Amino acid sequence: MFLYDTMMTQKAHNFLLTFLFLPLFIFSQQEKGANYFEVAIQKKVRSLKSKNNFNKAQYFFFKEEWDSTLVYSMKQLNSNIDIETKQYCHYFRGYSLRKKGLYKQSSIEFGFINKSFQYYYLVDNNIGLLFYYEKKFNEAIIYFLKAEKEILENKDESEITDIYTNIGICYLHLNQYAKAESYLKKDVLLNPKQITKSVVRSNINIANFYYEQYKDLQAISYFKKAYKLSKNIKDFNLKQTTAFNMAVVEENRGDYKKALEYRKEAEDLKDSLNNQNKIWAVADFEKKFAVAQKQKQIKVLQVENKLKNTERNSLFFAAIGLLLILTGGVYLYGQKVKNAKTILLQKNKLDELNATKDQLFSIVSHDLRSSVNALKTSNSKLSATLETKNYDELNRLIIRNSTIANGAYSLLDNLLHWAMLQTKQLYFHKESIHLYSIIQQIEYNYKPLLLDKAITFENSVSKNIFIYVDLDSLKIVLRNLLDNAIKFSNENGKISFYTQETNPDFSDLIIQDNGIGMSHETIKELLTDSELLAKKSNSEIIGTGLGLQLCKQMIKKNSGTLNIESEINKGTKMILTFPKTRTNG
Amino acid sequence: MDNINVLIIEDTQEQSDALIKVLAENNYTITGVATNFTDALKLFYENTIDIIIIDVFLDGKPDGITFAESINIIPNASKPFVFLTSSQDRQIFERAKLTKPFSFLMKPFNELEILYAIEMAVEKFYAQTNVFMSEEQDTVISNDFLFIKKKNSLKKVAINDILYIEVEERYCNIITEKEKFVIQISLTKISNLLDKTKFVKTHRNTIVNRDKIEEIILADNLIILKGDHKINLSDTYKDFLKKMNILS
Repeated sequence: MFLYDTMMTQKAHNFLLTFLFLPLFIFSQQEKGANYFEVAIQKKVRSLKSKNNFNKAQYFFFKEEWDSTLVYSMKQLNSNIDIETKQYCHYFRGYSLRKKGLYKQSSIEFGFINKSFQYYYLVDNNIGLLFYYEKKFNEAIIYFLKAEKEILENKDESEITDIYTNIGICYLHLNQYAKAESYLKKDVLLNPKQITKSVVRSNINIANFYYEQYKDLQAISYFKKAYKLSKNIKDFNLKQTTAFNMAVVEENRGDYKKALEYRKEAEDLKDSLNNQNKIWAVADFEKKFAVAQKQKQIKVLQVENKLKNTERNSLFFAAIGLLLILTGGVYLYGQKVKNAKTILLQKNKLDELNATKDQLFSIVSHDLRSSVNALKTSNSKLSATLETKNYDELNRLIIRNSTIANGAYSLLDNLLHWAMLQTKQLYFHKESIHLYSIIQQIEYNYKPLLLDKAITFENSVSKNIFIYVDLDSLKIVLRNLLDNAIKFSNENGKISFYTQETNPDFSDLIIQDNGIGMSHETIKELLTDSELLAKKSNSEIIGTGLGLQLCKQMIKKNSGTLNIESEINKGTKMILTFPKTRTNG
Repeated sequence: MDNINVLIIEDTQEQSDALIKVLAENNYTITGVATNFTDALKLFYENTIDIIIIDVFLDGKPDGITFAESINIIPNASKPFVFLTSSQDRQIFERAKLTKPFSFLMKPFNELEILYAIEMAVEKFYAQTNVFMSEEQDTVISNDFLFIKKKNSLKKVAINDILYIEVEERYCNIITEKEKFVIQISLTKISNLLDKTKFVKTHRNTIVNRDKIEEIILADNLIILKGDHKINLSDTYKDFLKKMNILS
């Protein structure tokens, strides 16, 4: 906060041509001088709590950040505020602008403040300084003198010192030595209470003042005083100046020995100043280094944090991934178990089907083969008989041949249909069927067989019954059942087909014979729902079981049911149920 | 009453012979036997055919179906037909099924089966199912013919030949210029199935072929038809006269 007004004076009697630096110190505003002003502003801030900008403006003002102060004070000025706050703001701006060296603008800002402002003398003081900077010492003195009165009233010592110094220096510049002397003396006299830089400076000033006027004795005493006082302060610059001044003075007096000593001291002080500067620089550097270190540490910490974060994230994702894998694993395991189950089921089914196929082959290889073989032997017998021209025997053989051929054919037919049913290749087309006619058609083919066994056949199915089934599968079923009935009938037996109405939507067809019948176990075995063919019983007459198996499946496919009622040696009732054709009016 | 004309499309002579024998025994007239697709078309267009029996496979190709398909595209040309097949091949059936109405007969078949199949084909073709086998009815009516079941066979009567129909309960007396016979069909059904512009009710139980009317004697309430058949005209049914172009 000091301004050096360095005056280079070359004294006329300075025969050694030494340059004497005689700094004149002027005070703009002491650092501690305006304590009460700061308190006043803090008070003002508290009273204006809501005015954020003012608060910021004053904060930056005391922080000496002039640009920010300018910005926030301008903002505060732009909002509607009372005159006092306005004046504070203008003061902030004026002061800040002065500090920034923009004297004209500063002067304008100070001009906005009117005399009602409580600390108007500060304004005067500032304006005085502005004039001083512009070397308009006369005007400066006017303002300083204005301020002086008020400052004296305030009794703030440092302020008084400052104003005395300022006025004194101005007079000095104007060469009004008497006035200058009185002010500078006042300044010096005020000082001794506390040895501060300003005291030293005051002494230097007055010494300079006398030295200028060649009043060497007085000057020397003040120089000495300044030199002595400077021992008690820490400012190396001042110490050096005082020592240097002493050296010049002694030189001028011709006491070179002392001058040399003072010079040396000044040099030492300069060195220590340099040292101090160096120390400062080192300290500064260290500080910077420490800051850099800290920055580095911060960076390291940041990086560590980042690493931690990424680690945590990766852990989190890994956990999620593991969870997913786990659920996936569980799911897959479940699927595998399910698949295994399905495979097992399929395997069982395949085994069953394979067994069926094997059975099929055994039927083909045994039954069909034996049938055809029988036909073959019968044929050779036939040709042998033809030679003997035994026509009765011939006729008998032919009938037998045709019976065998018919049996083989129906077996083959069943096999074919059964195979087609298993491979789902069978064409299936439901339509309205006249049951009576179909039974007649089936019976037509069995007429020779019936005649052969002298079996009475009766078709008492109602001629008005139409069932809704697939014709060919129905024919297969009826053919097989009639074939069985004939097979298991005794000679002179009776086979009858008739219907029974038990349900309006279904028709029961009963095929009854009075043949050998069968046991309950056999019935149970026959009706067991399995893909496998029923085991062949020991009796040759039982047959393959293929026919009935086929019937069951065909009936099922036609949405019908099969029931068997039988008594051994009394006969069998095959009860078939088929859906009727729905009559649409 | 005339016999039904049957066209047989069958490449195995043995089987066509068997068919001819069965059909002839049951009073069907065999119009011809075609052994291939071209012959079949030729015979079909050259003759009056009532029913066609088609073997699905001709020379190992499913030309039978092709034939059915070709006669099906021409409107009003198609006739009832029965497919004969020894194969239950699903693919063939799926194709044959598209030629509606579709009836088929598995080989080998016996006499009863072929007759039944023919009757079914006629029923399905004229969309009057469950007729021949039922006890209430024995006649299917097409645009040009009455198909009447007589014993095991089918007969036909040209509708244009009918003079008038007399209804007695569930029976109808059909009177043509040459003959007179009884069919089994209800009055409502027959009057629904006959062309109403051609056949008019002249009495509660009499339907007259308008083309056969020679004279109407209003004074006596009498209608005189071709062949000097005299029919009563009831007052309730006189309305039809208004629609006639009366020559003064």
